[in-house]
Order: sequence, then structure tokens, then C-alpha cells
Amino acid sequence: MCDVAKVQKIAHCLGVAPGKVQLNEEQVVTRTSGQKKSVAGFATILESLANESKSETAQNSKVSREVEAQVYQWIEFSVLYVAPGSRDRNVAKQLLGDLNKLFASKSYLVGHFITLADLAVYYAIYDLVKSLSPVEKEAYLNLSRWFDHLQNRPDVHQGEPLLNFTTIYLHGWATGTHI
Amino acid sequence: MSTGTLYTYPENFRAYKALIAAQYSGAKVKVADNFKFGETNKSAEFLKKFPSGKVPAFETADGKYLSESNAIAYFLASEQLRGGKCPFVQAQVQQWISFADNEIVPASCALVFPLLGILPQQRNSTAKQDVEGVLAQLNQKLLNVTYLAGERITLADIIVFSSLLHLYEYVLEPTARAEFGNVNRWFLTILNQPQVQAVVKDYKLCEKALVFDPKKYAEFQAKQGGGKPQQQQKPKEEKKPKEKKEAAPKKAAEPEELDAADEALALEPKSKDPFDALPKGTFNFDDFKRVYSNEEEAKSIPYFFEKFDPENYSIWFGEYKYSEELSKVFMSCNLITGMFQRLDKMRKQAFASVCLFGDDNNSTISGVWVWRGQELAFPLSPDWQIDYEVYDWKKLDAKSEETKKLVTQYFSWSGTDKGGRKFNQGKIFK
Repeated sequence: MCDVAKVQKIAHCLGVAPGKVQLNEEQVVTRTSGQKKSVAGFATILESLANESKSETAQNSKVSREVEAQVYQWIEFSVLYVAPGSRDRNVAKQLLGDLNKLFASKSYLVGHFITLADLAVYYAIYDLVKSLSPVEKEAYLNLSRWFDHLQNRPDVHQGEPLLNFTTIYLHGWATGTHI
Repeated sequence: MSTGTLYTYPENFRAYKALIAAQYSGAKVKVADNFKFGETNKSAEFLKKFPSGKVPAFETADGKYLSESNAIAYFLASEQLRGGKCPFVQAQVQQWISFADNEIVPASCALVFPLLGILPQQRNSTAKQDVEGVLAQLNQKLLNVTYLAGERITLADIIVFSSLLHLYEYVLEPTARAEFGNVNRWFLTILNQPQVQAVVKDYKLCEKALVFDPKKYAEFQAKQGGGKPQQQQKPKEEKKPKEKKEAAPKKAAEPEELDAADEALALEPKSKDPFDALPKGTFNFDDFKRVYSNEEEAKSIPYFFEKFDPENYSIWFGEYKYSEELSKVFMSCNLITGMFQRLDKMRKQAFASVCLFGDDNNSTISGVWVWRGQELAFPLSPDWQIDYEVYDWKKLDAKSEETKKLVTQYFSWSGTDKGGRKFNQGKIFK
């Protein structure tokens, strides 16, 4: 998923009109909203979206200075590490393992509620998770739980078909053999 | 929006369900001030509104009445908490509410209440295993889901969470809860929701598990004032009768599940008198008890020393450790008789005279005990270990003059204690 698509998805999640989102000549994502104001850079755009939003997720992301800082940290992490890393098999494996470990003791990335950090990382690893086989997903049960929880929210899946996280994966294999 | 008054004692985990639900829906709930447990809820006025006399109980602003915590929580909840619009999720919410009431609460109460000194410790109690079983089930479930029903917090989470509060506060020390990582993760998530924090204040996870303290139970029992164990178990809090009711059918069902080996194990201790392992000797308790009951002490005490067999029997002096905490005489007597009752199975091979010296707020308890064997008899059976640790035990030399004096004094209910307090009352264990 490219940055432009991610920004548009997150804008929908937050219930904010995305405006015009595109890459500028330096391949940096930019957003031009109603009043011809333009912002550039993934993290800055997310911040501007959150400021315009009245959604629960946006409110949660601003409950305290610490939460705000941690959310920002995860957004940066998703841009600098998750998105590029998920394209490399070995880095991706490490990444999935780390996130899985993290989610063993946490329900969300920051605090105890959904924030922009979850959305940013969710859309950053979406393609990677989609590419996992059922057996591979079984190795990341905690991560799968978090991912499944998010994708089931209507504001997050936005009509896309849900990825399958059922642990009875043989079903999918067996139907394949009948062809 | 619903408004009304909630009647409860403070920190009631059942009332928490309703109060947290109200935080989510924005319902305005006033907790009745001046509520005194055992008084307010037994008053005629209260019983007219809530015939069960149980709390929490809820009175709406327009004068309607609701009892039973789950119903009150449902009434005060938001649509999201009730499971949203999907009937399946709504049904899941009900499923977890029943799970909390039928599985968690009975097991939790059976494990935690003895530790808090509200109930006696049960022999062969399966409470610990029951609790672990319940937690294992939850742990399995919460590996794959963030919340119990649907993808949002619902009453299922709030009610199961509330039912686990006692366990996480008193029993589940870090090592004990380590194996239930998914439950811990979920529990902390719920605990740290702002709506929950507004209700459950200053809650700390268990650092060190409580252990059974016989003194605590003895004190609680003495305060209750009753003589019979059945009476003492009568509820201080509304939850117990319910718990008992729920526990009873379960117990009845259990024996069927036991296989032959378990059954044999379960029966064995019952059929055995722990004293059987010790040599019999020549002293006959029944004969002595008959003489003691029928004759004057002038005859029965010399009879005792004549027949006593120091090879196989021993004489002990037991003194209550916490005499400075004794208040009313009748309460102290309940302490003694309560202990005798719990030692019932020891009667055949033991005899004791325990005396109370002094008066209200200035008294001591001590006694002379005789039993088969040379060691402290109480560790022989898990049934006998409820009370003995609150006494200091000293073995007496059966041949010395001092012992003779002490035995004479206690068997004849006379004299004073070390502090010069006069004999007040005596109880005989025979």
C-alpha cells in the first residue's frame, strides 16, 4: 500500500475529508485540503488529520503528552522501518516476531485504547500480513489477534474483504485440493 | 438517560459492574450515602423496595426498583456495552455473564474468602484448581480475541473483569499469573480504560498472595458471636448465600466425575484415625472421662495421675498468643468452643480443660491438654490445623510436681493465670 493510499484510508478512519493527496516531485506525500493549505510528510499529514477529527481514535491519540509522543514515535517507526522492512523477507520476519512479542502483553500499541499509532502500523503491514500463509500466521498469534481486532472495525476495513485468521486453516487447503 | 440511586457497601465488585456501565452510557447514578450494610438493607423501608434485602440494588429516579447486579448493569449500559445491534454478539455477552456467575465467582469466593478470614478453610478444597481451570479457559479464549464479545468492550468484559478483581488483588501474585499472559493483557486493558479507572480507584495487582491465617478467621468468628459453625458462615456480605447455592449442585455432581483412584484417595483420610498410627498404651480416655464427669476433682485428679501412661501419652500447656486482643468474655468463650468443635475428631484420644482468666478487655486463655503420642497432635491431620497456631504450646513433664499443680488447677477450674487474673470460665474438651 503506497503512502497516498494509506493517508486516504486513515483519513476515512478518522472521518475527515482527505483532500487532495499526492506525491510531490521529491516523491514525498503531500496533502492539500480545503483552504489550499498544503502539508508534506506522512507524520505531519497524520497530525493534521487528527487535529481535524472528532473521532474516538483521534481523541485517544491526544489524551496526554506522553501518549501523543508515543503515537508520534510509532508513526515514525511505521514510515522508516515497517513499510520498507516489510518488503524484505528477513527484515519482515524479525519485524513480525517483534510485534508479536509486544502484543503478548498489550492490546494496543500505545496506552490501552486504539490510537493513530495502531492505524499507521496496521496499514503499513497490511500487505505483509496479507501475504502470510495460514501456517505462518499461526506463528504470530498475538499479532494476528491485534490485526484481526482492528480489521473488524468498520472504520478500519472500509469495505475491504477481511483477511482470514481462523486457526482451522486446513479448511482452506482442503477446498483447494478439490479443483 | 437513566438516572437513579444505587445502594451498596463500598468497593463491592458487584456494584462496580453497574457503576462502570454507567460511565460508558453517561447515566447519572448516585451511590446512596449513609448506607450501612446489615442495617439499611434490613430496614422495613428497604425490604419493601427490594424484598431480597441484597445489594447492589437500584432505584430509578421515577421510582422503579431493580435488584441483581447484572440486571442493573444492563439497564445502565450503553448500546455498545449490550453487544451492539448484532444478536449474536448480544448472546455472547449473556454467555460471558453466565460464565462469570457460574464459574468464576463460586471458585473465586471459595478461594479468597478463607484467606480474608470470612469462611473457614475447607479440607480437600478444589478452589485453587477450579480457579486455575477458569483462568486457563479464559487464557485460551483471549489468545485470539482482544475483547470477549465482538470487537468492542461490552458488559461481557466488564462483568468478567469485576468477577476477577478479588483474585488479581489477593491471590494471583506475579508468578501465579505468569502462565495466564493473555488474561493479564486483557485484564490490564480493561482496568486502564478511563471509564473503569473512574470507578475502580487505587487498585493494585497482587504482589504477594494472601495465606490462610487461622487467627483472622477466629477473630471474625468471635465477632459473629454465634456458637455453631453454620451460623458463623452466615453472610457478612450478600454474596455468600448465592455462592453456596451455586456451589452445592456442583459439589453433588463432582463425585461422578472422580475415577476409582481419586475416590480411594478421597476416602482414605476419612476412615483413618490419625492417632491409630501411635502405640496404644495403657491409659484409657473413656474411663478417665467417666470418672472426671461423675466424681469430685478430689478423686478424679489422683485417678488421672495413677492411670496416666507417660510412655505413650503426653501433657501439654497451650496459651493463646493474642490475649491482649481479647475483649468480651462471651466472644473469648466462642473462640474456645469453636476450636473444640473443629477438633471434634480428636476427642476420642484427647482431653483438655481450657480456662479463661480475667474479665472483659483484660483476659487470657490457656489450657492443659492430654493426648496420645509424644508430639504435638495437631499436625497429624489437616482438619486440626485451623486453630492451633494461635496458641503457644509447651510440653509438660508428666512426673514433675509443677505439672501436678498445674493439672490440678486447670482440671478443677481454680486459681489465677500468670498475671494474677482470677479464673472466670472453663471449657472441657472430652
